[in-house]
Amino acid sequence: MATRVLSQKEQDIQMMLAAAVHLGARNCDFQMERYVYKRRNDGVHIINLGKTWEKLQLAARVIVAIENPQDIIVQSARPYGQRAVLKFAQYTGAHPIAGRHTPGTFTNQLQTSFSEPRLLILTDPRTDHQPIKESALGNIPTISFCDTDSPMRYVDIGIPANNKGKHSIGCLFWLLARMVLQMRGTIPLGRKWEVMVDLFFYRDPEEAKEQAEEEAPVAPDFGAVPDYGAMVPNDQWTTEQWMPEVGAAPAAVPPVAGVEWTAGQG
Amino acid sequence: MAERGGGDRGGFGRGFGRGFGRGRGDRGRGDRGRGGRRGGRRDEEEKWVPVTKLGRLVKDGKITSLEQIYLHSLPVKEHQIIDTLLGGRLKDEVMKIMPVQKQTRAGQRTRFKAFVVVGDNDGHVGLGVKCAKEVATAIRGAIILAKLSVIPVRRGYWGNKIGKPHTVPCKVTGKCGSVTVRMVPAPRGAGIVAARVPKKVLQFAGIEDVFTSSRGSTKTLGNFVKATFECLMKTYGFLTPDFWMETRFSKSPFQEYTDLLAKPTKAILIENTES
Repeated sequence: MATRVLSQKEQDIQMMLAAAVHLGARNCDFQMERYVYKRRNDGVHIINLGKTWEKLQLAARVIVAIENPQDIIVQSARPYGQRAVLKFAQYTGAHPIAGRHTPGTFTNQLQTSFSEPRLLILTDPRTDHQPIKESALGNIPTISFCDTDSPMRYVDIGIPANNKGKHSIGCLFWLLARMVLQMRGTIPLGRKWEVMVDLFFYRDPEEAKEQAEEEAPVAPDFGAVPDYGAMVPNDQWTTEQWMPEVGAAPAAVPPVAGVEWTAGQG
Repeated sequence: MAERGGGDRGGFGRGFGRGFGRGRGDRGRGDRGRGGRRGGRRDEEEKWVPVTKLGRLVKDGKITSLEQIYLHSLPVKEHQIIDTLLGGRLKDEVMKIMPVQKQTRAGQRTRFKAFVVVGDNDGHVGLGVKCAKEVATAIRGAIILAKLSVIPVRRGYWGNKIGKPHTVPCKVTGKCGSVTVRMVPAPRGAGIVAARVPKKVLQFAGIEDVFTSSRGSTKTLGNFVKATFECLMKTYGFLTPDFWMETRFSKSPFQEYTDLLAKPTKAILIENTES
């Protein structure tokens, strides 16, 4: 729509629209009504992405306020969020839990996996209800991505978003990670983050296998001789270039310089 | 139904059981005397390795009073925390040992339920209930649970704020099961006007004068004692005009000492515990 250069916020919202973050569920929890723009004809609620972006900022501020990032736990029981959670933790320094949350991790001091985090980040209050219950007992503030039909009980900061699609979850964690790093000063504001969103997307095991197969035949090509053969014409071309430039030098020098140059190239 | 103590195949302390059936009242009084004395288990206290963050802070002396813990509503999971903070001032008393039974095909299985009240006679009380196969284990467990449940008690004046607070700040009531206990502020010198059971609890709380009134089946000591405990809990839950001022929030000790807590504890295990 806009032909002028988009601000960072507008670019983010464009990305969120592409990832279908704005598409809620068919039901709407009464506490999520304030984030819903409208209900579509087929029953799907549309989430106001401007509010989503602001809640993301708020959550990022809270995350940055924790001095020791290891005290933050990011969690996802669902497979769609596991890769995102691991990558988020990698870039922000938090502690990821992917998969089943063993009941008692925050309350049972005799367990080996006992931990007392200062902040909890979840992908879905419904599937991750166990950590929510335990954080309530342990004075742990909770941030969570909430869909329109998500229960908000014991969730302190709810980020309205679609937490059902894999692109959506990946996009949100990517945005949150980038915001946190920008606020901390690790990344300068305004510039693009060199880490791709795709890194946070969930990959089906078949997809992952296909990609591994694709990468395998490419590797031997680098060692093949034909490549060097293809470089030979380049070699002649560069020596031609060098000869007029190095006018005063003796005739022996240009070929030597040319040879060294191709060695650098190869 | 076989008579109590008749379940010989039940095993645990047969003579014990029969002794109980007859002299339960005497037994209770005897226990009260026994409860005051503390076993000399010094070496266990010295070897305390804290597991929780709060435990580490208390052991390092960063937290000096229970009030800091109450201010931030931090759950207390290790009884040594209370020991370190309240130390020698804490006294305990076994209110009752109640034998409870479960029917098995080989007779009855008796266990003993111990009710222990713990307190420094100056504003802190705790109540612990533990059931175990042996009386001593039950008492020990109940003392630990009582220490974990220590609560601050708010005291106030009947009228004329002279001297130290001596009674409840207002009329409060607590309920457990069918038992309701009501505490009413009393003038100095009235003493604790209550039945034997709540009187003990109130003495531990440090309340000097109070009028009480109870209703329901106070015979059930478990509920009676829990009701008075709940009543005492409510003294700080009652909003009076002195709490109208805006709270000035302070940093939680976990935030203040986050650097200290981030350091890993000496790893006795190979795995590193998460801070």
